[in-house]
Amino acid sequence: MRADRNEKKNTFGRLLGYAKPYSRELAIALFATLAVTGLELTVPIIFGDIVRKFNNMAPYSEVVKLGIEYGAVLILMLIFAMAQRWLLQHAGQQIVYNIRKELFAHIHKLSLSFFDNTPVGKLVTRVTNDTEALSELFSNIIVQFIRDVVKIAALVVIMLVLNPTLAVRAFILLPFIALLTYFFRKVARACYRLSRSRLTAINTYLSEHLSGMSVIRIFRKENEKNREFRAKSRELYNAYFREIMVFAVFRPLIYLTSVLALINIIWGGSGLVFENAADPLRGIDVGTLYIFIQYVSSFFEPIQELSEMIGTLQQAIASAEKVFTILDEETKIKDPEDPKVPTDGIRGRIEFDHVWFAYTGENWVLRDVSFVIEPGESVAFVGVTGAGKTTILSLVGRYYDVNRGRILIDGVDVRDMDKKVLRRAIGQVQQDVFLFTGTIAGNISLMNDEITDEEIYRAAKTANADSFIKGLEHGYEEAVMERGSTLSAGQRQLLSFARTLAYDPAILVMDEATANIDTETEQLITEALARLMKGRTTVMVAHRLSTIQHCDCIMVMHKGKIRESGTHAELLEQNGIYRKLYEIQLRSGHEPYDSGSDGQQ
Amino acid sequence: MLGKYIKRHIAGYIAGVLVLFGVDYLGLFIPQLTGELIEGLGGQNGLGAITFTRDDIIRSIISILAVGSGMALGRFGWRFFLFGSARKIEMEIRNDLFEHLTTLSDRYYSEHKTGDLMAYFTNDLNSLRSAIGPAIITAFDAVVMGAMVIAKMILYVDLKLTLIACIPMLVILGGAIWYAVKVEPMYKEINDTFSDMSDKVQESFSGIRVIKAFVREDAENRAFDVTNKNKMASVLKVAKANSVVWPTLEFLIGLCKLITVFLGGYMYYRQTITLAQFVAFNQYVSMLVWPMIAAGDSLNMISQGRAAVRRLNEIFGATAEITDTGKDSGITELSGGFALNNLSFAYPGTDMKVLDGVSVSVKPGETLAIMGRTGCGKTTVASLLLRLFETGDGQISFDGHDIKDIPLDVLRSSVALVPQDNFLFSDSVQANIAFGTRKFIEFPDEKLSMALINKSEDELNKYLDRQMNDRCAKNDELQNDLEAVEEAAKTAVVHDNIMGFPKGYSTVIGERGVTMSGGQKQRSSIARALMKNAPILILDDSLSAVDTDTEEKIIDNLNRVRQGKTTVIIAHRISTVRNADHIMILENGRVAEYGTHDELVALGGRYARLYEKQQLEKMIEEAV
Repeated sequence: MRADRNEKKNTFGRLLGYAKPYSRELAIALFATLAVTGLELTVPIIFGDIVRKFNNMAPYSEVVKLGIEYGAVLILMLIFAMAQRWLLQHAGQQIVYNIRKELFAHIHKLSLSFFDNTPVGKLVTRVTNDTEALSELFSNIIVQFIRDVVKIAALVVIMLVLNPTLAVRAFILLPFIALLTYFFRKVARACYRLSRSRLTAINTYLSEHLSGMSVIRIFRKENEKNREFRAKSRELYNAYFREIMVFAVFRPLIYLTSVLALINIIWGGSGLVFENAADPLRGIDVGTLYIFIQYVSSFFEPIQELSEMIGTLQQAIASAEKVFTILDEETKIKDPEDPKVPTDGIRGRIEFDHVWFAYTGENWVLRDVSFVIEPGESVAFVGVTGAGKTTILSLVGRYYDVNRGRILIDGVDVRDMDKKVLRRAIGQVQQDVFLFTGTIAGNISLMNDEITDEEIYRAAKTANADSFIKGLEHGYEEAVMERGSTLSAGQRQLLSFARTLAYDPAILVMDEATANIDTETEQLITEALARLMKGRTTVMVAHRLSTIQHCDCIMVMHKGKIRESGTHAELLEQNGIYRKLYEIQLRSGHEPYDSGSDGQQ
Repeated sequence: MLGKYIKRHIAGYIAGVLVLFGVDYLGLFIPQLTGELIEGLGGQNGLGAITFTRDDIIRSIISILAVGSGMALGRFGWRFFLFGSARKIEMEIRNDLFEHLTTLSDRYYSEHKTGDLMAYFTNDLNSLRSAIGPAIITAFDAVVMGAMVIAKMILYVDLKLTLIACIPMLVILGGAIWYAVKVEPMYKEINDTFSDMSDKVQESFSGIRVIKAFVREDAENRAFDVTNKNKMASVLKVAKANSVVWPTLEFLIGLCKLITVFLGGYMYYRQTITLAQFVAFNQYVSMLVWPMIAAGDSLNMISQGRAAVRRLNEIFGATAEITDTGKDSGITELSGGFALNNLSFAYPGTDMKVLDGVSVSVKPGETLAIMGRTGCGKTTVASLLLRLFETGDGQISFDGHDIKDIPLDVLRSSVALVPQDNFLFSDSVQANIAFGTRKFIEFPDEKLSMALINKSEDELNKYLDRQMNDRCAKNDELQNDLEAVEEAAKTAVVHDNIMGFPKGYSTVIGERGVTMSGGQKQRSSIARALMKNAPILILDDSLSAVDTDTEEKIIDNLNRVRQGKTTVIIAHRISTVRNADHIMILENGRVAEYGTHDELVALGGRYARLYEKQQLEKMIEEAV
């Protein structure tokens, strides 16, 4: 319980920390808010005075004076209200902007294992919706809270000063208003929750049934489903109707309360006015009564706002907690404090030294794997689905840390290197080419300003992507639609080659695409691949044995171990797993011999 | 389209508008009553001559109470009538829309994404409801209430004062309309920049592997920054407008009152108006603000409502393409025999022939196997046999009748399909398997007590989930089909898995319950089709996610229960199809090879190569 409170306080404290750079803006806004509140409260007094002047038949000039006073109040209120609104929104938006920026950058620093275990949708919600809830907090809630408390306190004081008896009379209904509003808010919120739950239920039902419509059709269940939907729809209607009824009952009730408050003041106030008429030293005059009449309804707004605020505040805090949970997440793959670099720079020697690896617990994906690849050499890994081939690729770039053993690049343990330096040296060609919204050129350079247009064109030419790009309507400036779904699998592969070439890495890590590629493009790919591999250390996972026969060495993996290694010819001679894979391949035509995905996905 | 719904609820609307009129009318009296009270207590001449007696006070209090109560009652009334009717119409349109969507064919669904269809139910229905509920109130208040207040000001107080004091009101009216036209659309811009930002975040996190591989984190941060800034800018744009508009509105109202003070004061001293009229006039000025703002609001809601009606009309205008011909063919059941007669097919709107001259004739009780690469047209055959798309005359026939002459009810209850995506609903396992054989049982609406919904959100949702599960269970019990379901599940070799779930056949699948593995889903989907006990069963690649042992068991079971009934198997594995009466290999929509297992192995073509390949795979699997 205690710890829980501390944590809440901590969350709130952390939130305030984000407000600190804007403390001046917020302070001015707060001042402006209080000024507006104060000015608002003087208006009934001015009008009370006017009525008094009328009543006493004071000269018109005195009324004019009060009018000028009122005009001044109006102008000040206009200025302060504008300042308050603008400053609050501005500060609130800036703060949320900063939190979003920090959150986005932080998530990008987290390791891949975090992304493996966290759905992308959830992360998007954190960055977008949860932070949105915070803007409400900074732009409205905090200042509104202060204003309402001050307003109520000021009203109480002013009324007591004007006339204690009538003031006490005015306060009598206060607890009732507070209670009624509180109760109304609670019930309304509950009803709203119910209708929202029902709405979510019906939307879930709809999205499920609209996607499953063909099943409904093939089982000829349209009538049944219609009746089911009507029942759900009815439930939603009932929830909405309850909401309407709650508002229909409470809103007029609150109005009626304000009428009662008015009557109460009139009854008590008129008594005091009669008293005053009999003895001018006692009671109140009609001007004061008019002030009270105007004030009594002013209580309603701040009290209603305060009771409303509780819910919004809870929501904002809950969102903040979710945001902070992610910000507190630490990356598992940390950069060393004192990063090392290979003495001669990265030339591309890769060594796996008794590597054991599991994504979770003791489910070993690699068991005691050791090998050395010299600079410029090319090695292909083959094996059935789930043998651990793709994992090797992930480990070279240190996307995961090994459980036992070590991985050396040019003699330096990858854990001792700066991640960025390491990854810049490695070019990754992924199996499923991810294309970003933007242009073709932008997808080759990945928006790196250091890569010139010339370099982009050269890379595309070397990767044999130039001809198909030029065939597009806008060439290199053609927009990539829907993650590149308009391009064929082969074209996407060529683009990914161009992308890698543009970055000119020392080491090439490649997961061959399994998708069906037409023979013509296949030819282009093979040719481009040869150029890509030239002068680079290449580690590749091959799903088609035809592509790897020219590799310096082929390693056959099975159940996390390297079972066979050698050149294509040597391995065929061994008559082991490779031979069988080869024969499967012969019978598959162009299709891959395995399903192309590793066990982990 | 909207007309017929409103006509149905016209009584509610008339009652609502009448009540609304009453409320607005009564509202005119409160300022007058307070004004008279102040005057009565003040006296006209400043000589302290109070004209009101205690009895007058009591009278005016009673009047205020009566008017206040009447208004309170009326405010209940119009909410009840107008909002109630609008919600009811919303429900009716929602139901009709869903019913309409169930009649549309697969083609419509292939052209419209689920998300887009959902938008009709969420956005459009909501805009429509605003237009036939709240918009009526705002429009009424803008016109009728505005006119009544002005009339009252002129008649009860003074024409000249009204005209001059209300000059700023014209600015407010113009401002409200300007706001509705200019500022409200900016909110759309906020939505757009927000969704741009969401898209960017979504894309960036989805492409995290590329970003890390090419060390593009900084570039991503910069790109996100742009969308983040745009979002902020669009919000601030509206904020800027709002921080000018709302204080200015307050200022203009104040200005009206200021004019009242100067001019009204002058008139008071000239004895043109009384104190009561002065006090009342000030309140009338405040009352006039709402109609001005309401004018802007209603404009917006009505224009959005009209757009929604247009969009809804569009979807209601889409017609069901596949329907019964209308003439009674007298066919009530199918025997299981069917024939494809030179069947060619291209999906609507495309030129590419997915099937090209496919012919085969299957007698009742026979098994047809279809093999071939992805995209060769296998699944299309299955869809066409269920008439999910239209084919040319005579290309598909059952028992010699053209498919279009067979009533859809008869056709689709005679052909059971295990589709490739094993779509299961969030319902109990039992209900899912019995999907094709159940009749809907209506449950009475359960009135949730206020105490219950007053609980925390979590508790409420838990309760609703529980209620839903209880309802599933009750439904399962009333349907009384557990035995048959178990039978089907045993045949599909999924019974043991189901018994392993926390609540066996009552376990709820999907979002609210247990997630099934691909293989379990597949076999449940087979059980679902078997439950229909239809003369024709089509398995569309339905054994791909099960291991070879289970596959063998399922095939054996099928042979047993499908004795004498027709089965179509679409598959990749030789082991699945080897005992079929007909095996057909499709390539690019054409029949490449056709025969029995032995014939095709002897032929030495594609089928034979596939056979050898699968033999080798088995060897590797067993070897190590």
